[in-house]
Amino acid sequence: MNLFEFGWLIPLLPLGAFALITVFSPFYRSKHISSGIAIGAMLLATILAWGIGAQGATDGFHGAGTEADQTAEGAEAEHAAEGEGGGTESHFAGFGDAYQTGFDWAATGNTIFRMGYYIDAPVAAMLAMVTLASLCIHIFSSGYMAEDKRYSRFFSYISLFTASMLGMLLADNLLLFFICWELMGLCSYLLIGFWYFRPSAYQAAKKAFITTRIGDVGMMLGLLYLYREAGSLSLGTGEGQIFNPEFLQRIGSTTNTLGISVATGIALLLFMGTVGKSAQFPLHVWLPDAMEGPTPVSALIHAATMVAAGVFLVARTYPIFLAGNALPVVAIIGAFTAVFAALIAVAQFDIKRILAYSTLSQLGFMVAALGIGGWAAGLFHLLTHAFFKALLFLGSGSVIHGMEAAVGHDPVKAQDIRNMGALRRYMPITWITYLFGFLALAGIPPFAGFWSKDEILADSFEVGFAGGSAIGIVVYIALSFAAFLTAFYMTRQYVVVFNGEFRGMDPRPANADPSEKVAVETGHNTHGVGEHTAAVYDAHGHSAHQAHSPHESPWTMTLPLVILALFALGAGFVNAGAPPLNIHWFAHFLAQEAPTFNWLTAGIATGLALLGILLGWLMYRNAFVHSTDTDPLEAMAPGLFRVLNNKFGVDELYGATVGRATDGLGVGLRLIDRAVDGVVNGVGLLSLLWGKLNFILDDFVLNQGADTLAEVTTYTGDGMRQTATGKIQDYGALIFVGVLIIGLIYLYAF
Amino acid sequence: MNEVRTSIVTAVPLEWVLLVAAGLFCIGLFGALSRRNIVGILMGVELMLNAVNINLIAFWRYLEPTSTSGLVFSIFTITVAAAEVAVGLAMVISVYRTRRTINADEIDTLRG
Repeated sequence: MNLFEFGWLIPLLPLGAFALITVFSPFYRSKHISSGIAIGAMLLATILAWGIGAQGATDGFHGAGTEADQTAEGAEAEHAAEGEGGGTESHFAGFGDAYQTGFDWAATGNTIFRMGYYIDAPVAAMLAMVTLASLCIHIFSSGYMAEDKRYSRFFSYISLFTASMLGMLLADNLLLFFICWELMGLCSYLLIGFWYFRPSAYQAAKKAFITTRIGDVGMMLGLLYLYREAGSLSLGTGEGQIFNPEFLQRIGSTTNTLGISVATGIALLLFMGTVGKSAQFPLHVWLPDAMEGPTPVSALIHAATMVAAGVFLVARTYPIFLAGNALPVVAIIGAFTAVFAALIAVAQFDIKRILAYSTLSQLGFMVAALGIGGWAAGLFHLLTHAFFKALLFLGSGSVIHGMEAAVGHDPVKAQDIRNMGALRRYMPITWITYLFGFLALAGIPPFAGFWSKDEILADSFEVGFAGGSAIGIVVYIALSFAAFLTAFYMTRQYVVVFNGEFRGMDPRPANADPSEKVAVETGHNTHGVGEHTAAVYDAHGHSAHQAHSPHESPWTMTLPLVILALFALGAGFVNAGAPPLNIHWFAHFLAQEAPTFNWLTAGIATGLALLGILLGWLMYRNAFVHSTDTDPLEAMAPGLFRVLNNKFGVDELYGATVGRATDGLGVGLRLIDRAVDGVVNGVGLLSLLWGKLNFILDDFVLNQGADTLAEVTTYTGDGMRQTATGKIQDYGALIFVGVLIIGLIYLYAF
Repeated sequence: MNEVRTSIVTAVPLEWVLLVAAGLFCIGLFGALSRRNIVGILMGVELMLNAVNINLIAFWRYLEPTSTSGLVFSIFTITVAAAEVAVGLAMVISVYRTRRTINADEIDTLRG
């Protein structure tokens, strides 16, 4: 049985779950049925996705329509190697075989737009990761959201979210890709604003939606540009498809009016979509605020869907990036984001916000990896990161769930790491699994994060020092620094949350921290609204009681943690290139040449990670005795800490520039609107007068005239009717008279 | 004796014949318009036709005695009149059968 033929089922299963839960109210009303449908559909999709992955790994990805691609493959790989001109060296060796099938969708004139799905090695790998992570998140949600009044709605949303992501992965053309991409944008809006009665939540939802939209506009322009050039958006190397070698050659060598090659233009526009969706600088501002959504949503956005989509877009359209000179931009933005976000993460106190900035930073790693030509490394890190970041987010959800027993349902209190401490004693399973996630993210061998991060660092090292590329050197140094910071801030978080003494019995007052502006706003708002709506957004059903100990979460929440922890430990071994292991399975699976393991970069990376952990341990081991204590870093460098805590003021900057500009534009537009209003009103008045004139004409001339005509006709007809007596002799007499008259006329007139 | 052969042409002027025909026509017309019995009306019509016949014959005999068209015309008229009477009487019988009357005043279905 060829499982590829059933690939279309993978997105349709969660989509079907979404439809069933949403449409049939009996399903919607029952928590067990709605979560059962969603989890069941997800389970089937997971089995199918892993089956497809297994089939692809054993038999390869042959299928409909790939014969033509086979011949073009070699040429493309060759071209890819010579295509980049930005002084970077590519490790990318083409996409390999693919199964592609579809149907004619929109036939207009001579062009036929095809819709279908496309499975090759990266798609299969992503499918396996997304389905598994999403399944874990679904199961976790059934515990985490158990007491929420809109439980079923939550499951319908996350099913749609996952379905969009899976549809995007499987899309065989960039239009379908874009449709699913936008569907994800919608779902992120719905889910970040799921607790819409919190003002901060709906603001965060709007912010996420609008910010990503800025990138999406660029991406759409890129798609239009590409369609204009290629006449097709179909993935593949065949004739008339966008990865056709001659086509790439052509757009790589043609220059447009801006003086850059067409391929560079398209790639940069497409990359705008990535910057928005994967929250790269300068459109990163939405991702930390997206923490307002329920924690499983954060996990879904940060691991399996949404942000992965942006990186996947670059990975998917990589030949276009190679054909032009866009990759240095990609590398610089990625590296900058990696360091920038890691610095901010150092000074945050909200457990989810720290993880959010760490996601930004790790996405920067992936984007930078793609930017320096490490296609396989970037994709590898995307996969491993998804597992341990889902684990960390679900772990933080479990922590928050436990904390709420102690500090009540205040997101500010329950998520502040200064109120935690010693949770390893109260929540052992959460603690162990979180430890796994922490070590994986920090890049300690043999955890998954080490292998993938090391591959990125090795690639950039090779490009920079062996290849003599300045960008490679910059990226390598930036990423190494970011890796050190990652280890440091994760140690800070881990130590403060799980070690020391529990401080939640005496939590920080909500507004003790003037520097945390957003958090304070949140606090005020939820206090105002929260007293009345507490029962509504109370996700966990406990009344706001305090002075209880935190407790371990139910099995529905710990089971996904355990599964993900195993992957955080083991997922890296699919590509563990160190000599005693020599596993290059994943690289071969992606049809790439196996990278050589670089002991130097691995040693430096591990050393930096251990240094970061040591530093973090020393600084934060005894830092917080009371929840109101000052952060040691703040004590050392208050100014710097404030800047970092304030996220470099990017939000304020946008508020002062884009926000102000928008306000000003609004005022200006209102003035124009007034003027337009005047014109419109004048036109309306004139129309009214004209109408009255018409009315007069109508009523007195046309109406009356027609009436008179009708009356005259009736009267005449009535008169004439009298002569038609029906008596033959009357007619005869009339004829006689007529003849007589005609005769008289004849006699006397002529 | 030199007998003066007198024909009707010399003995009777054309105008007299025409007057007879006109009189006959007027009698027929009066009959056709005044009788209430349909059969009477038909008889009046026959009188008018015969007045026409007299005219035709008279004009032929007095003005164009060498041609035959006058004779032929009148023969046609007589034939048509015969046919007309046949059809007319058949209609009268048919009307009588359906309406039990042949009074022309009572047969006014076509009244407007």
